[in-house]
Amino acid sequence: MATIELRNITKQYRQAGNVINALDDVSLTIDGGEFLSIVGRSGSGKTTLLDICGLLMRPTSGQVFIDGADAASLPERRRAELRGRAIGFVFQEYNLIPTLDVLGNVMLPLRYSGGDRRDGRDRAMGLLQAVGMSDRVGHRPDQLSGGQQQRVAIARSLIQRPALLLADEPTGAVDTQTAAELLDMLRGLSREDGVTVAIVTHDLDLAASTDRTVRLQDGRVVEDSAGVRVAAA
Amino acid sequence: MEIFRNMRRRKMRSSLTILGIVIGVLALTTMGALSEHLNSLVDGGVKYFGSSIQVTTPAGQSTPLLPMSAQKQIAARPGVVAVYPHYSFEAKPGTNGGASFGAPDTIIAADPGELSHGDLRLSVASGTFVASGSHGQVLLGSVIAKDLGAQVGSVVQLPQRPADAKPGFVSHPFTVAGILATTQTAPDNFGYITQPDGQMLLRDSLPPALQGSVDVTTVAQSFTAYTTPGASLAQLDTMAADISSHVPGVSATKPSVTVAQFQSFSATFTEITVGAAILALVIGGLSVINTMVMTVSERVREIGLRKAIGARTGHILREYLREALAIGVIGGIVGWLLGFGLTSLINSASGVSGGLFLVTPRLTAIAIGFAAGLATVAGVLPAIRAARMDPVRALRTTG
Ligand SMILES: Nc1ncnc2c1ncn2[C@@H]1O[C@H](COP(=O)(O)OP(=O)(O)O)[C@@H](O)[C@H]1O
Ligand SMILES: [Mg+2]
Repeated sequence: MATIELRNITKQYRQAGNVINALDDVSLTIDGGEFLSIVGRSGSGKTTLLDICGLLMRPTSGQVFIDGADAASLPERRRAELRGRAIGFVFQEYNLIPTLDVLGNVMLPLRYSGGDRRDGRDRAMGLLQAVGMSDRVGHRPDQLSGGQQQRVAIARSLIQRPALLLADEPTGAVDTQTAAELLDMLRGLSREDGVTVAIVTHDLDLAASTDRTVRLQDGRVVEDSAGVRVAAA
Repeated sequence: MEIFRNMRRRKMRSSLTILGIVIGVLALTTMGALSEHLNSLVDGGVKYFGSSIQVTTPAGQSTPLLPMSAQKQIAARPGVVAVYPHYSFEAKPGTNGGASFGAPDTIIAADPGELSHGDLRLSVASGTFVASGSHGQVLLGSVIAKDLGAQVGSVVQLPQRPADAKPGFVSHPFTVAGILATTQTAPDNFGYITQPDGQMLLRDSLPPALQGSVDVTTVAQSFTAYTTPGASLAQLDTMAADISSHVPGVSATKPSVTVAQFQSFSATFTEITVGAAILALVIGGLSVINTMVMTVSERVREIGLRKAIGARTGHILREYLREALAIGVIGGIVGWLLGFGLTSLINSASGVSGGLFLVTPRLTAIAIGFAAGLATVAGVLPAIRAARMDPVRALRTTG
């Protein structure tokens, strides 16, 4: 469980002399255990926001606090460690290493964090069971469908018992039915461990099924259902 | 293993890269085996000639014989602890010394006591040394034994009768008392007999007119003088000069002159090997760099993913270096095996006694170690590029 606080985050990309304001003074607090969706049109800054939360990228200005600690000031090595230990990622595609089998992919984060292999193996098998992939542990990614690959990716993202799980359009490449199943899996598993989850999605129905929805537009938060809820309470 | 699955993913390219290393290591192994053989011959020469003084007839003397009386005079010179008369004969006359890379097959008559002097020590692999003063016994080097098809206890005719033997050619039966352990140098081609038997062969070799008039026990073809072990080349040179100037009718060669000749050969062989190593470096190194650069560009997203899930720079660096190392080790082993096979094949097919190539453990270690090191070093820059990649940019790369 982790609380993420973004304070006045700005991210600018410089490209061919142009400055693109991908995020423009975004402040957002995600409470521990929250199951949150981020929506917005393509190019509105969703991926940038997630990458900054996930310590994959440093903001141009502003601060990122994870459980009250300023993560922006950490050296790259510590940020990589924190990513490996405390943050799980699920991307839209290319989530798995093609030369590793299912079990190898799920256990990969342990290789980098130096976690216990035997415990990790048991946990990986448990997670694969939970996502319905326990009969495919020896398969390679190219032997799996898109939806199956995402289930493996979900199992991998949870192997380290992360405090925070970030998913960038995890259902973007699968059909609606599979998307709903994947989201249910994410929800179920993260609830069990009290993981804070932020999901970027295009699908407004999926977004509506999360606890809270944040809408981005041109790098700004233009809508936050938490505010609505608070107002309605 | 993930490394091997990665290699299999691009079979063609991995094979070509490994082939590059294989060619390099093959060149290194064959050239190296040639120079290892030559160097071991040289080493033997340096050991023998660097620890003894060769005394022969002075330049210009027509008869290559020395009076036996010189033995005592040489022995009386300061520093000399032992002097032995020598006789030597072609073991297979008329064969142009035979096809041999080292010394031609030669019969050496010397007192067995001499074997305890000098730095080049011989040991028997089977049988025994020949007893001093005995008759009809021979101790064979490993190569000449094979050439003669002899074993301990066999009887060999020495010298071997050539096809076009002159009338009056004589040979004598010798029982093989022992066979020497391989030295990879001249004694492998030597058959050692006793001094009296040497004198008998000397008489056979004299023109018929002289055979009755020369008492062969009063002459020697050469003498070898020894001093206490551990003497420096400079000390031996001084002794040689002293012998030449104080013993009439003999000429002692300065050991440093002979040793320098051997060592100049050795330098040439080393240059050949270094040349092969540079060839290996260029072919193997470039193919590894090429492959690793391509591999890294192909796996940009994979690297991004690994970094996103916690891989640090060092992890990625290690993974890629390990892959390069595996390529090097596989290429090195395959190249060495091919080189070993090829040189063994040529050794046995060429009919050259003692062979041309010598693949030593040292050469094996150098060849495989070189390939492993080369591939790793060639992989460093691509690996650093991979390790330093920005995860976000890597993940957003399409393809
Ligand atoms: N590496 C980059 N260089 C330049 N511009 C970028 C880069 N990444 C994203 N952008 C721009 O930043 C804006 C936000 O991008 P992104 O966060 O990917 O949006 P979303 O995920 O909502 O589609 C877009 O205008 C995009 O073109
Ligand atoms: Mg995006």
